[in-house]
Amino acid sequence: MVDPLTRSRALHRLLYLGIAAIVLFLRLLPVNGGASSFPGPDLMLALTFAWVMRRDDYVPALLIVLVYVVEDMVFFRPIGLWPLLVLLATEWLRRREESLRDLPFLFETALIGAVWLAMLVAQRLVLLVTFVEPLPLGLELLRLLMTIAAYPLVVAFSKLAFGLRRAALGEVDAFGNRL
Amino acid sequence: MATNREEEDFIGPLRRILIAVLVLLLTGAFLFWRIDSPRAERMRALFIDRFVPTFDWAMVPVTKTLDMIEGFQSYNRIYEQNQELRRELRRVESWEEAAVQLEQQNAKLRALNNLRLDPKLTSVSGVVLADSGSPFHQSVLLNIGSRDGIVDGWAAVDGLGLVGRIAGVGETTSRLLLLTDSSSRIPVTIMPAGQRAIVSGDNSRFPPIDFLVSPELVRPGDRVVSSGDGGVFPGGLPVGEVMETRDGRLRVRLKADYEQLDFVRVLRSHPKERVESAGDLILPEEPVQPPEPEAPAEEAPAGGSDG
Repeated sequence: MVDPLTRSRALHRLLYLGIAAIVLFLRLLPVNGGASSFPGPDLMLALTFAWVMRRDDYVPALLIVLVYVVEDMVFFRPIGLWPLLVLLATEWLRRREESLRDLPFLFETALIGAVWLAMLVAQRLVLLVTFVEPLPLGLELLRLLMTIAAYPLVVAFSKLAFGLRRAALGEVDAFGNRL
Repeated sequence: MATNREEEDFIGPLRRILIAVLVLLLTGAFLFWRIDSPRAERMRALFIDRFVPTFDWAMVPVTKTLDMIEGFQSYNRIYEQNQELRRELRRVESWEEAAVQLEQQNAKLRALNNLRLDPKLTSVSGVVLADSGSPFHQSVLLNIGSRDGIVDGWAAVDGLGLVGRIAGVGETTSRLLLLTDSSSRIPVTIMPAGQRAIVSGDNSRFPPIDFLVSPELVRPGDRVVSSGDGGVFPGGLPVGEVMETRDGRLRVRLKADYEQLDFVRVLRSHPKERVESAGDLILPEEPVQPPEPEAPAEEAPAGGSDG
C-alpha cells in the first residue's frame, strides 16, 4: 500500500507535467500560423510560481528544469539559460515561502512580477555578455505584464480545480505534517 | 522526498547539492550552446525530430475540431454567400437570356438564308430600330430608307413569313406597317382551296379574313399566302394559317414572329406593266426604275439562294 501522502505528491507532479505538456502542445498548435504579433501570457511560468508559492513539494526542482529545458529545445531559445534562471528564482521563492505566508495576494503578485523582472534583466545581461541577440524588450515587457495579469487567474484555477491554496502559518495538512 | 520535517532537514544538504548540480549543468548547457552552436542546434533538431512527431496523432482531432469551427464560422457568412450567389445567378440569367435571343436570331438568319423567293425578287435586309407601335398603330421603324432604295408599299418578310409593308420612307429609316395594324389590307390566297380573300388587320394578334367567297371550303390549318392581286405585293409569300375563333370567324395565325422582330427583309417589287387599254401591252411607257440594274449585283447571294 502506497503512502497516501506520497501518492498525492506523485499525482500532483504528474498533473504538473500533464499541464506543462498540454500548454506546450497548445502553443505548438499551428493555429495562429506563427504570425501572432501580440505575446500571450506565459501561463506555464505563472503556474510554476503559483504552485511553488503554495505547495512547493508538488513542483520539485528537477521537474521544473525538465519542463523548461524541453521548452527551450522546442521554441529555439538559448539552451539552458532560461531554465537556469527559473530554477534560481523558484529556489529563492521556495526558501522564502514559509516566511511569506502572511503576504496579501496583491503583494504576492507584485513579488512574482519583481522576481520575473529580475529574471528578465539577468537574462538580458547574460545574453549581452555572450553576444546573443536578445528578444525585443518591448515584447518581453508586454509579455511580463500579460503574465502578471493572468497570475490571479492561474491561482484561482489552481485553487478551484486542484484545491491548492496558501497554507496559513503553522498549518498542518491532513496527515499531520507541517506545510 | 521527506514525509516530515526532520527528514527534510536531513535531506536539505543533499537537495542543495542537487540544485547546485542542476545549476552547473544548465550553465554548462548554455555555454555549450554558445560556444559550439552548430552542434547544439543539431542536437536540438534531433530532439525535436523525436519529440514533435508524437504530436501527429494528437493533431488529428485538433485539425478536425478546427475544421469544424471553421465550418461553423462559415454559417455566419452564409447570408453573404447567399447574396453573392443570387447576384451571380442574376448575371447568369441575363446571359441565358442573351443566349436564347442569339439562338433565335441565329435561327431567323438561317431561315432568311434559305427563304425561297421569286428569283425576280431581290431584297434589302434591315434591322428593326424601334417599335413605334401603339395599341392603335402596329408599326416598327427600320434602319433602311430611301438611301437604300426603299419605296413605299414594298413588302417585308422575316425569316418565317410576311410581316407587313413599308408605309413611309425617310432618308435612312422607314416605317413598316405590320399586318396586324387596323389600316393594313392585303389580298391573300387560301391555299388548298385557292380561295381569294383579304386579310385586314384589327390591332389584334390574329387578323381576320374578310371577303371570303365560300368560307365552307376553308378549314382551320389551311395555308394563307399573299396573292399578288392589285400589284401591291408579290404573290406566294407565306402569311400564316387559318384558324377559327370561338365565334366562328376565320382569322389568320401569322407565321412571322412578331414577338421577336429583329431582322426583316424588304422585298423589292418591280411595278408590273399595267394593262390600261387593249393596245398597251407591248412596251412599258416609262423606263424601268433606276435601281434596277444595280439591284442584282447588290443582292447576288440572296438571288442565288433560290437555286
